[in-house]
Amino acid sequence: MNIFREIYQSIVRRDPLSTDKGKTELVFLNVWLHIHPAKVKKEHMKFRHTFYLGFISFFLLLILITTGIALMVYYRPYPAAAYQDMKDLQFVIYMGPFLRGMHRWAAHGMVACVFLHMCRVFYTGSYKKPRQFNWVIGVVLLLLTLGMSFTGYLLPWDQLAYWAITVGTNIGSYAPLVGGMLKEVLLGGHSVGEGALIRFYVLHVAVLPLLVVLFTVVHFWRVRKDGGLSRPVWKLKAPKTAPLVQIGGTAEAVPLAVQAASTEKTYGLMEVVTGKPIFETVTPEEDDDAVFSYPYAFVREGITLMATVTTIMSMAIFLRAPLEELANPAKTPNPAKAPWYFLGLQELVSHSALLGGVVAPALMVIALLVVPYIDRNPSRRPRDRKWAIWLFTAFVVVNLVLIVIGTFFRGPGWALVPPWVHVTGGAE
Amino acid sequence: MDRRTFFKAGWGAFGLAALVSGVGVSLVAVGRYLMPSVFYEPPQAFKIGTPGDFAFGAPSFLVDQKIYVFRDRDKGFAVASAVCTHLGCTVAHFQSDQKFHCPCHGSIFGADGGVQHGPAPRALDWYEVTLARDGQLRVDKNKVVPPTYRLMV
Repeated sequence: MNIFREIYQSIVRRDPLSTDKGKTELVFLNVWLHIHPAKVKKEHMKFRHTFYLGFISFFLLLILITTGIALMVYYRPYPAAAYQDMKDLQFVIYMGPFLRGMHRWAAHGMVACVFLHMCRVFYTGSYKKPRQFNWVIGVVLLLLTLGMSFTGYLLPWDQLAYWAITVGTNIGSYAPLVGGMLKEVLLGGHSVGEGALIRFYVLHVAVLPLLVVLFTVVHFWRVRKDGGLSRPVWKLKAPKTAPLVQIGGTAEAVPLAVQAASTEKTYGLMEVVTGKPIFETVTPEEDDDAVFSYPYAFVREGITLMATVTTIMSMAIFLRAPLEELANPAKTPNPAKAPWYFLGLQELVSHSALLGGVVAPALMVIALLVVPYIDRNPSRRPRDRKWAIWLFTAFVVVNLVLIVIGTFFRGPGWALVPPWVHVTGGAE
Repeated sequence: MDRRTFFKAGWGAFGLAALVSGVGVSLVAVGRYLMPSVFYEPPQAFKIGTPGDFAFGAPSFLVDQKIYVFRDRDKGFAVASAVCTHLGCTVAHFQSDQKFHCPCHGSIFGADGGVQHGPAPRALDWYEVTLARDGQLRVDKNKVVPPTYRLMV
């Protein structure tokens, strides 16, 4: 009996979870859990503060990696085989439609959740000092998410895929100076063909996922290092002028936990047991709010994970991922539409390829990247930042309106057709 | 500047230059590697058959080459690109209005290929068509000609 206990002890190497020490050791003796603080504040884990959108995005990424690897087993990335393999996945392979459905809905969900996560971070002002750079990393992750979706879109090699990528890569070719070369490198040729398929495949299954994982690791790391989860807006107090405490300053008795000039305390890194990260300044009465991550945070994360997986599984069961006819370079479907999250872009492109396809999106991305450095207002309270909220809301609304127009109001020949009008076949 | 500082700075500059040029050359090499050295694509100049293969009136659409071949009783042969100049979708030629319609963003090109409507930045290309020695029509996509170009056979 003792041998089993010894084996178990050699694996977990911590005190029992009934003790505070065990709860703490569970976090920082475990490579997977140690990204968490040992303690969290209940208020910061409130669902209505973050809607757990970051967690959900990450869990969707896990689903995408898992189902993606499964799909790779049967998928061969060259034109003669790709569509055939999609047909097999759809009709022959055990659980094929289910896996493909999960992959597709998780991908759509990730685009949506990453965007909503960005909105939440903006509206709660959580990109402000010292979290500016983590916002930038977040924008990069949004772009990588879109890149993964875009490259994955070509792989089924059906009409939808072929023409979405034809339009998409031609938009890129309008970029000044490098446009033509960019298109040639991306496609490995002058039009979408076998060179493009293998390149998109390499980007989709190797390059972009690797980058996403790397940036996600940095993103999480910075959440901890920049002060943990941001405080809910409703818990914010009037800004005080208490100086930020220098970490490890004097040679006095306790160098890493110095009493600040005000009634607030700033906790240092070495006090990991109390779960207070660097720069986190709290008033003593708020300490009552802090609880051990085990089980408080882990239970919530676990429930979120299960809810995410369950939702995606249900969608995969009831909604089948579409597959159109084999890619046909001679016949463009009418209308030819990009995936929904690029339909706003396509709407812009329908007015001007250079302005709408290159200039406007480039300006949008640059604007997002510099948000934390332009917004000098230190306050996170909504009533102090009306302008910022109005501007960002305008940005979101414009994007949504463009997407809605592109999705529901564009018919054959990209003509304005309201969704309640049924169009039967264009003149041909 | 004494001798020691001079050599220190010199070695430092040399090291930095070596590093920068090494990284630079590597990046150029990576970029060059990604540019295909050979394209397994259909040739840009090709034969499309004898003049007798093409009917008068409605243009013939050649699927693989993405071109429209026009044959007019009085004016001879002309070849138009079927690739929209906006974002590369395949345009459809409507016999009803003698115009080219792009399904992607609604561009409309007139009978001469000129833009009449929509976001297309320039007219459709017309390609040179010649008669090869073996009596076949030969189209060269590298040679763009004005829309008035005609091959009389």
